[in-house]
Amino acid sequence: MAMLLYIDPGGGSYLVQAIIAAVLGFMFYFKTLWFRIRSFFVRPKTKPPTENDKEPS
Amino acid sequence: MTRNLPEHPASYRDPAGFVFIRDGRVYRQVAPAYADDYRLLMDSGLYEKLVAEQLLIPHEEVEAGTLLPLQLPVISYPCEWSPDQLKDAALLTLKIMRIAIDHGMILKDASPRNIQWLNARPLFIDTLSFERYDPAHPWIAYRQFCESFLFPLYLHHYFRQGIHRTLAAYPEGMPAGALLPLLPLKSRLRAGVWLHVVLPAIVVNSGKAGRVGKARPAGQISFDKRKLLLLIGNLEDSLRGLRTEASHAIGWSRYYSETIMSQAYVQEKEKLFREMIAAIDFGSALDLGANDGYFSQILAEKKARVIAVDDQWACTNTLYRAAATAASEGIASPTSEGNSSRASGGHIYPLCVDIAEPTPASGFANTERSSFTERAQCDLVVALAVVHHLVLTKNIPFGLLADYLAILTRQWLIIEFVPVSDEKASALIRDKPVFHKPYDPDAFEAQFALLFSIEQKQLIPGTERILYLMRKKADAI
Repeated sequence: MAMLLYIDPGGGSYLVQAIIAAVLGFMFYFKTLWFRIRSFFVRPKTKPPTENDKEPS
Repeated sequence: MTRNLPEHPASYRDPAGFVFIRDGRVYRQVAPAYADDYRLLMDSGLYEKLVAEQLLIPHEEVEAGTLLPLQLPVISYPCEWSPDQLKDAALLTLKIMRIAIDHGMILKDASPRNIQWLNARPLFIDTLSFERYDPAHPWIAYRQFCESFLFPLYLHHYFRQGIHRTLAAYPEGMPAGALLPLLPLKSRLRAGVWLHVVLPAIVVNSGKAGRVGKARPAGQISFDKRKLLLLIGNLEDSLRGLRTEASHAIGWSRYYSETIMSQAYVQEKEKLFREMIAAIDFGSALDLGANDGYFSQILAEKKARVIAVDDQWACTNTLYRAAATAASEGIASPTSEGNSSRASGGHIYPLCVDIAEPTPASGFANTERSSFTERAQCDLVVALAVVHHLVLTKNIPFGLLADYLAILTRQWLIIEFVPVSDEKASALIRDKPVFHKPYDPDAFEAQFALLFSIEQKQLIPGTERILYLMRKKADAI
């Protein structure tokens, strides 16, 4: 499809967006992975406080 | 173009349509080539949603292809805004992008000039900016968005100079190559600077050398909706992380509430001011040197539309924040203490403009954007505690000042004369003894009496300052 452009997207603007999206996608992937790994290890630690919270009541 | 209608000089850029003025009303004509996109905007539910959320200007289709949008009382340009205004306009643009993408459309341009202010809220005014979204293509307006919204805010974040002068110097936005050498080294700690400034600057440079441009034509770059949403999310995060608030170093903000000017002076002046505005009728007012908007607020209580002008971006920013908060709460909340019970009134339009150097007519053939003088004319002009700055500091003679104020006001003028014996005025001439003389009430009145009739003259008790109420003579300008 031929796009009718009335503003100049700028030299290399499409390439820039592709690179940024790739970087952000990469970061997003590792952030998700990191949270998954952390939640795997951190989960046992977060349980006791919730149990303590219940005790006083 | 279907008919021979007089186009507005600002609307030549986009072939999707044009703006014209008939009987004093602004209309928008949809070009036949854009009809499909316009129908998609209307039929997809996008228009309805954006208007319901008060993000897009509502319009009425008076005849096929001719739109009558809501008429805006005040038009301003980004080179007259404060940093928070530009930031809010940027976030509005991205919010509209997200909603548009959900409806299968996208913004084909991202200029701050597509936004105007209504009741201290940004409003997107270009109904013809929407086009059908093709997920395979990146955002055509990305570069324009960065250059005209994000980059001036980066510069302000590090140097606290406001954004108005940046956008006056770069009306089409500041290129990455111009911004990069100005940013301090610590800016490299921000991922946004690497992604949106450093990377484009490198790509543009290498493109000029003929490498990148040849290797990757735009059509071959793979892109999708998820990538676009990541980009928008990152732009939003980058914008939210930038400082826009006034720092304590700015001397003029909160002049009325915190300076050495005594509370008694402000009270006496307010009493006289209220008596004067009670005696006259006005629907619009221009407050020159509005500072924190103390008197703009009093004018707004009279249900007037108030353009509050100050050349200090920090004042405009504070006033905008206060007006935006008041508008969102539905009540007036003046910036000064002890007045929170004031009833809501008209709307305040805070603008960052230097009266001694008002925004000129600009753009192609100097007709695309009109001058501040053309846009700011009001029934009442208020010039409190500014005469000494204009005459003693800027060397503007009384006669020229009277001429200009007679152009700005349609009828009324409330003006405060500050004599050289006054503490504030004497501070101005301590190191600058040369100014137009005589500088006294007699010379002031003689010049203003040529164009105005002096209706009231009141000495502000406890000071040597004089408050005048003047009416423009029928034969003046």
